[in-house]
Amino acid sequence: MTSGVAIEHVSFGYGGTAVLDDVSLDVEQGEFFAFLGPSGSGKTTLLRLIAGFGAPAQGRILIGGRDVTSLPPWSRNVGMVFQSYALWPHMTVAKNVAFGLERRKLSRKEIARKVDAALELVELTAFANRRPAQLSGGQQQRVALARTIVIEPEVLLLDEPLSNLDAKLRVEMRTELKALQRKLGITAIYVTHDQEEANAVADRIAVLDGGRIQQIGTPGELYDRPANRFVATFLGTANLIEGHVQGGRFAADGFALDGIAAPDGPACIAIRPQDIELGAFSGGVAAVLVEREFLGSTMRYRLRVGSRAIVVDAPHHRGAKSYAVGGTVGLLIDPRQVSVLREN
Amino acid sequence: MTPPRSAFGGPTLPFQGRERGRLLARYNASPAQALALVFVALFLLAFLVVPLLRVIQIAFTGPDGAFSLVHFGDFFRTSLLRESFWNSIYVAGMTVLLASLIAVPLATILARYRFRGAALIHTLGVVPLVMPPFVGAVAMQLIYGRNGTINLLLMDWFGFRIPFMEGLNGVIFVEALHYFPFILLNLSASLANIDSAMEESAQNLGAHGFTLFSRIVFPLALPGYVAGAALVFVKVFDDLATPLLLNVNNMLAPQAYLKITSVGIADPMGYVISVIMIACSLGAMLLSALVLKGRDFAITQRGGGGLSRRSLGRWGTAAAAAFVIVALAVSLSPHIGIFLLSIGTVWSFAELPDAYTVQHYVTVYRESLPLISNTVLYCGLAGLIDIVLGATLAYVVLRTKLPGRRLVEQAAMSAVAIPGLVLGIGLLRTYYDFQIPFTGESLATFWFMLVIAYAVRRLPYALAAATAALQQLHVSLEEAAESLGAGKLRVLSRIVVPLMTGGLLAGFVTSFATAAVELSATLLLVARAPDAPLSYGIYVYMQSAAGRGPGAALGVIAVVVVAIATYAAFKIAERERGLKSREMF
Amino acid sequence: MTRISRRTFVFAAVLTLGASPAFSQGLEDRLIIVTSFPKDLTAPFAGAFQKKYPGTKVEVQNRNTAAAIAFVRETQSNPPDIFWASAPDAFEVLKKSSLLQKYQPKAQGVASKIGSYPVNDPDGFYIGFAASGYGIMYNTRYMRANNLPAPKEWDDLKKPIYFGHVGISAPSRSGTTHLTVETILQGEGWDKGWATLLEVGGNLTQVSDRSFGVPDAVNSGQYGLGIVIDFFGLSAKASGFPVEFVYPTVTTIVPANVGIIAKSKNQKAAEAFVEFLLSDEGQQILLDPKIQRLPVKEAAYAKAPAGYPNPFKDAKLGARVKFNADVSEARYALLNSLYDRLITFRLKELNAAWKAIHDAEKKLGTGGSAEAKKLIAEARRLATAVPISEKEASDKAVAAAFRDLKKGEKAAGRQAEFEERWDSFAVKNYAEAKALAERAGSAK
Repeated sequence: MTSGVAIEHVSFGYGGTAVLDDVSLDVEQGEFFAFLGPSGSGKTTLLRLIAGFGAPAQGRILIGGRDVTSLPPWSRNVGMVFQSYALWPHMTVAKNVAFGLERRKLSRKEIARKVDAALELVELTAFANRRPAQLSGGQQQRVALARTIVIEPEVLLLDEPLSNLDAKLRVEMRTELKALQRKLGITAIYVTHDQEEANAVADRIAVLDGGRIQQIGTPGELYDRPANRFVATFLGTANLIEGHVQGGRFAADGFALDGIAAPDGPACIAIRPQDIELGAFSGGVAAVLVEREFLGSTMRYRLRVGSRAIVVDAPHHRGAKSYAVGGTVGLLIDPRQVSVLREN
Repeated sequence: MTPPRSAFGGPTLPFQGRERGRLLARYNASPAQALALVFVALFLLAFLVVPLLRVIQIAFTGPDGAFSLVHFGDFFRTSLLRESFWNSIYVAGMTVLLASLIAVPLATILARYRFRGAALIHTLGVVPLVMPPFVGAVAMQLIYGRNGTINLLLMDWFGFRIPFMEGLNGVIFVEALHYFPFILLNLSASLANIDSAMEESAQNLGAHGFTLFSRIVFPLALPGYVAGAALVFVKVFDDLATPLLLNVNNMLAPQAYLKITSVGIADPMGYVISVIMIACSLGAMLLSALVLKGRDFAITQRGGGGLSRRSLGRWGTAAAAAFVIVALAVSLSPHIGIFLLSIGTVWSFAELPDAYTVQHYVTVYRESLPLISNTVLYCGLAGLIDIVLGATLAYVVLRTKLPGRRLVEQAAMSAVAIPGLVLGIGLLRTYYDFQIPFTGESLATFWFMLVIAYAVRRLPYALAAATAALQQLHVSLEEAAESLGAGKLRVLSRIVVPLMTGGLLAGFVTSFATAAVELSATLLLVARAPDAPLSYGIYVYMQSAAGRGPGAALGVIAVVVVAIATYAAFKIAERERGLKSREMF
Repeated sequence: MTRISRRTFVFAAVLTLGASPAFSQGLEDRLIIVTSFPKDLTAPFAGAFQKKYPGTKVEVQNRNTAAAIAFVRETQSNPPDIFWASAPDAFEVLKKSSLLQKYQPKAQGVASKIGSYPVNDPDGFYIGFAASGYGIMYNTRYMRANNLPAPKEWDDLKKPIYFGHVGISAPSRSGTTHLTVETILQGEGWDKGWATLLEVGGNLTQVSDRSFGVPDAVNSGQYGLGIVIDFFGLSAKASGFPVEFVYPTVTTIVPANVGIIAKSKNQKAAEAFVEFLLSDEGQQILLDPKIQRLPVKEAAYAKAPAGYPNPFKDAKLGARVKFNADVSEARYALLNSLYDRLITFRLKELNAAWKAIHDAEKKLGTGGSAEAKKLIAEARRLATAVPISEKEASDKAVAAAFRDLKKGEKAAGRQAEFEERWDSFAVKNYAEAKALAERAGSAK
């Protein structure tokens, strides 16, 4: 049985420093949710509070509608995979996996069956009698996973589970992780500082910075409609331009864009590099081409508009038109692709 | 025991150019490490093996003067000695059990929960190791003896006595109170090195309380516990002060001591017993190494930080506080007794002294200052030498494959079983004829020889503590530093030593505390009153009835000196630990 | 103390050496004394000597007897000057190892014998400068609490009432106790003497491994009575402890000695110190209440406080025993070992045997069947038996097993072999005695 998680106005601090400041969010049942943020953003702390390591100074945490705020870790039935895996070096793989089941007073046969099943699930049946130190990083990771899911927790918490693996393995593992979560239908919360990882696995993401939630949404929403400067830059590359809106027209030094739906006043807009098209200059926004980089699928141009640097990615294919460094080009921007950012 | 000559004479290292480099690479060692091992081996050869062999060779000499094992045959044919042997094993084993019952909960409470004055409790937990000679014995009898405070009170109120200080069980009782700090210190250091995620993952899977402790925390802290327990076993097996205090003669250590120190007896049996005790102690140490073998305890991928500390509920606090108070009160009662002696006039067949006075402190005031500074200097240096040698040796043993390293380690450990008198005689015999340039003083009676005698006999404590600390340290931490271009020495000084602080500290404190009250080698090697440490001063006073008060006053001073040094050491450790265990966000 | 200040200390010492006035008196400027005496004794003598010879710096090294002997043995290349201790056996060991030199004191008026005990080593290697008598010390509070009568004679200590209340130091650990044991054996004869020792042994609660352990325990009230040398009892009483000391009718006199170490570098100062000990001035210091030893010069008693024991007047002190030093010397080590096997190491078993005998005798009172009486007599015989006859004990080959063999010398076995035999003898006899006494008790 898996459950949703609700965080209600949670605040937390260590000796005077606020680590989490009035955080609220809902994780749906069966959802794969990610906490994304740079280190120090409070994402791991929030995960640990859900697991029961520490109590919030304010607010409540509910799992499956049940208030668990004051329950100790061992009574929560929440599974957590630690960044360091925290496999117990003095026990074999099978013993590690069986540990949580023993606490649950199952029969020995039942335990053996479940351990076998869990190890099979992570394809480590052959390694049951090894010690953690005899396994590779990826294998240790799977043991940690098996050890956690075998207890059939209501929620699966994953604290940067892939950060100790090499790049190739990381990509493989995250696909496996996602498949596993789908198969089990378990609610999962995943902490990471890597936006690509979060995008790849999560149904929804909460972006955290400075102990506050910046935005919650699907990967697409966050990318396409970043709510603020932080989200816009943390997820992918964005051209941020500060200016002024007057009657649906955004104007900045050298810039003018019509069709911007925002109230009059100072504003900041974000435009993704691939959402700008280059063309021969024929009025509108004029840019000087400073540098270009060939990235394979795209050609990345760095341009100057007035005092501002702008990045444009043009899709590349055989025979695509390219522009020479030093020339002046025109920028074509579809106002529908422009995000107006919240002041913060 | 063979001298560790083969440590560097085994498969000979051709010290030539590239060949050497390749050989050392095979042993996974740098030239500096090989040199360090040779240095430690030479130190032990010079100040332990040679002096010892010069004394105990008599054990291997037959009646006709030739090499012979006939005396060892006699040992096993003598029923009293056989009985003594088993008694010693029994007492040492039971003491480990009883000491564990005190030390394990204490260490856990201190490591686990936020406690006011944890450093103070740690310090008080070390003080039982400091049992000033003679004064401690008198105080112990006055508190726990047949007509001591407790039994007099029991007789008054309930009409019965408890024989705390009688027979083998009395020895076990006193030894456990005296030596449980070995386990406390080493276990605490180990607990402080456990990655908190190890514990949290178990809690996350539903474990808590005793299960969490017995299945996860304790097994992970096993290196420290085993190091401490092995030390307790060996120390109790070799201890003679307590059996003598209780007048229990049918154990090995007192049998050896009585033989060796009996005037005018040329019986080699005392030395035979010493050899057998050394062998047994090494056996116990090897056994403890075997227990830990094949287990990977290198769990501190983050460099430790220790268990997460939490606050206890009201009842939990009360229960924990009650345990700490009772455990400390019982184990410190001899010291309370010493204090009462030092401020009492006459204390005889009574619950408490007849009256109180500060006169004893006035008496010792004039002469105690040099005694204190000598004690701090000697024991401080000895402790320092011990942790340098102990950490070096532990590092070479665990991290290289240099030939002979185990032999050097065993030679170092054997010192734990050597009576101070035997080592003292050996040092005198070997070094009396060496003169110090300019002063013409003999090297053997030069004050620094006392430092060396202290250091050699306490090296096993530091070595055990350093080995336990290193066993918990993942080699990847060093490899990471090496991959960044740091040489072995730099890795040692910048990475390994700082991370071993807790263990090294445990070693230093143990060495310092026990050296501060060592008497047998002191009595032999001190040549001039101005060079004498506190223990000598205590001995001099405790030879007459009138000296009991002043002797106790010096005993109190010795305890206070050790307590201050220990407290300072723990404060440093707390700071180190604070730096290491910054909470993750 | 730092190294630097230490060096200055040495430097300063060298300076004072140069300016020493001792040369004018013909004495060297240093005198190194190795002693096992307590500070209460050494400090007044060292102080007074230094006052008299201000140019000579006296360095007193306090060591226990074992450490003191080992030190002298190991430092022959540059030895200390004076060995100063109670235990005559320590001097014997040094003498046999040629570590002492002969010296004939010039002082006049020193008795050659106190009672029947010779004051000096007949060979002249060590000199008695004081004497002490053996006796019984008891804790008055303890005696009152346990309703024990004050003892007067050695034989009193055999009484069942003192069971578990008496302590002694082992003769192997205390040269003075050894003399007491030897005196009892010579005075009562080998077999009867051992019977006394074993019967008193049955009442012992402790056989201490150091002489001072006994007064320490009596002072604390750990047990009530101790067999000790007089100054332990007298000085403890003077320090305010609730203790008393009595000389039994037949008491042992033991000397306290001094000897000059062979190849002493400060010969004149060493001789001056020995003479000083024997001078009127030195003898007077012995009367100090913290020292309380008996001067070997009769004249010194003139200034003694009232009640001070005086062996020259009091016939009780040592006069009744004929003491044969040669017999004592021949079986010295053997006697120590034998006492340890029969009493020290098997005290628990010996206690149990005598407890059973006492209980049985109390139960039977004056009555009891002949059978029971026989059983008790047999139990007593077993609990007082000794595994080796006097003749064997003084046999040269047997004695040789207990000391270093000279070249070509043959011993009748190894010490360990004898000890194993005696140990089994004791264990077996005590167990049988206990069983017999218990049978007698239940037989009625």
